[in-house]
Amino acid sequence: MTDIRFEDVRFRRDGRDVLSIPSLHIKADRVTAILGPNGAGKTTLLRLIAALDRPHNGRVLVGGDIADTARRSVSLAFQKEVFLRRSLLENLMLGLTIRGADRGEARDRAMAALRLLDIDALAEKRVDQISGGEGRRASLARALCLHAPVLLLDEPMAGLDGSTYARLLDELPGLVGHSGATAVVVTHNPEEAFRLCDDIVILVNGRVRAAGAKREVATNPQFRDVAEILGYTVVNVSGRLVAIPDGALTLAAGPTELAATVDTVLDVAHEWHVIASIGPTRVHIRVPRSEAPPQSGAGIHLSARVKYEVS
Amino acid sequence: MDAGTLIVTLRTIAVSGVATALSILVGVPLGYILARRRFTGRTILLGFINTGMGMPPVVVGLIVWLLLIRSGPFGGLELIYTPTAMVLAQFVLATPIVIGFTTASFQSLSPQLSDLLRVLGAGRVRMLWLLAWETRLGLLAGVMAAFGAIVSEVGASMIVGGNLERSTRVLTTAIVTETSRGEVERALALGVMLFALSLAVNVLLTVVQQRNRP
Repeated sequence: MTDIRFEDVRFRRDGRDVLSIPSLHIKADRVTAILGPNGAGKTTLLRLIAALDRPHNGRVLVGGDIADTARRSVSLAFQKEVFLRRSLLENLMLGLTIRGADRGEARDRAMAALRLLDIDALAEKRVDQISGGEGRRASLARALCLHAPVLLLDEPMAGLDGSTYARLLDELPGLVGHSGATAVVVTHNPEEAFRLCDDIVILVNGRVRAAGAKREVATNPQFRDVAEILGYTVVNVSGRLVAIPDGALTLAAGPTELAATVDTVLDVAHEWHVIASIGPTRVHIRVPRSEAPPQSGAGIHLSARVKYEVS
Repeated sequence: MDAGTLIVTLRTIAVSGVATALSILVGVPLGYILARRRFTGRTILLGFINTGMGMPPVVVGLIVWLLLIRSGPFGGLELIYTPTAMVLAQFVLATPIVIGFTTASFQSLSPQLSDLLRVLGAGRVRMLWLLAWETRLGLLAGVMAAFGAIVSEVGASMIVGGNLERSTRVLTTAIVTETSRGEVERALALGVMLFALSLAVNVLLTVVQQRNRP
């Protein structure tokens, strides 16, 4: 039952505030996604929890203790995996022996984690002999085998190719759930966040823009940047900013009609891609090939099935 | 091999071995700090250390001699013309070499590696040890370079040791003595001895270095 609290935290780099969090509570025994664009401070946030960096102001509490003293209740899988030049098994065992397990126990737990990620056949391989996808699995196995109460994953899916990505995205919720840890997953991909997590924290420019259970955060975005990060299309309708969920913007009649002008029509195998302007905003619309393509410059009516006003 | 040669050889091993060991104890942690910390003057300091890697032994010998002679600031220690004085001079020669190699070796490691070890829970000493092992190719190259430099130098040992037959004569100074006496065969034999010693130490260290080659 280990939660994480940020109290009045500020972190500066090169004289600039890269993170400024007056208050944030990451709940125990839940999976929380930190979602945000590149450079939002997501990795810095993880590094503060792991006590790799210290805040210049305020404090980060892990299970009620200052992060510095709680280091051994945290495990972290880095975005860019890094290993010692030893066998995979020894790489996993190292963390366990540092944290006080004897070699026999360390070997058992390391092997169990390798089996869990289906890479036990690679146990004796040197880490420079394994592929990128296997490396990512190895990095996850190392983080999981520590059985730490807090599990931090930094972009666990980044840089994986299509099939490896799909497979790991399927497996990851089970692996994280199985660990029983309070998990924090950094990602810039809203789909990953929805698949993996219970709660979502949206971080922009080092500030928390939204936080809470994923349904609450995702269904009613309050701010334009939050809506965009969640995959909404934000358009300006009669001076109001309206967030429309991905795929809810179509040609033809619907609950809300928007007038638009067609800028460009692209021919893409199964459908027309129409780029249209609504006021100063440009939107992408997909039109089935069964319909005639709208003419460039023509006025069209769009319908949005769901919309939210944002500021 | 006669008893005299054996004693001189053992003395050479002892003096240069102790000097190398001390330079590792001091040089590796200093090199580690220089590789990881950023502070003003660091680059200039590294420049001095890199210069120190090629210091003329005679000059180092002269400076240590000036410090240790009776009238010098440390004359009261009565170390001049003792093996300890030779160890000291050789330590001064070897340490910049160890520091230089250590700094370069640690800097070649991914900075993420120390983050990883900290996350895993390694303390300072353990971190240094694990990283040192990780970069042992470079570190042992530094140890070999340091030992090679001091076991083969003549100038410093001659000046601070005095080449006393019973207490401070080592292989290199013995070769100088025998050659000046016209005992070319003995000088050559000592030269072979020195070469064999150097070879043995380097082969041993190379085996350690290349085992489970990273």
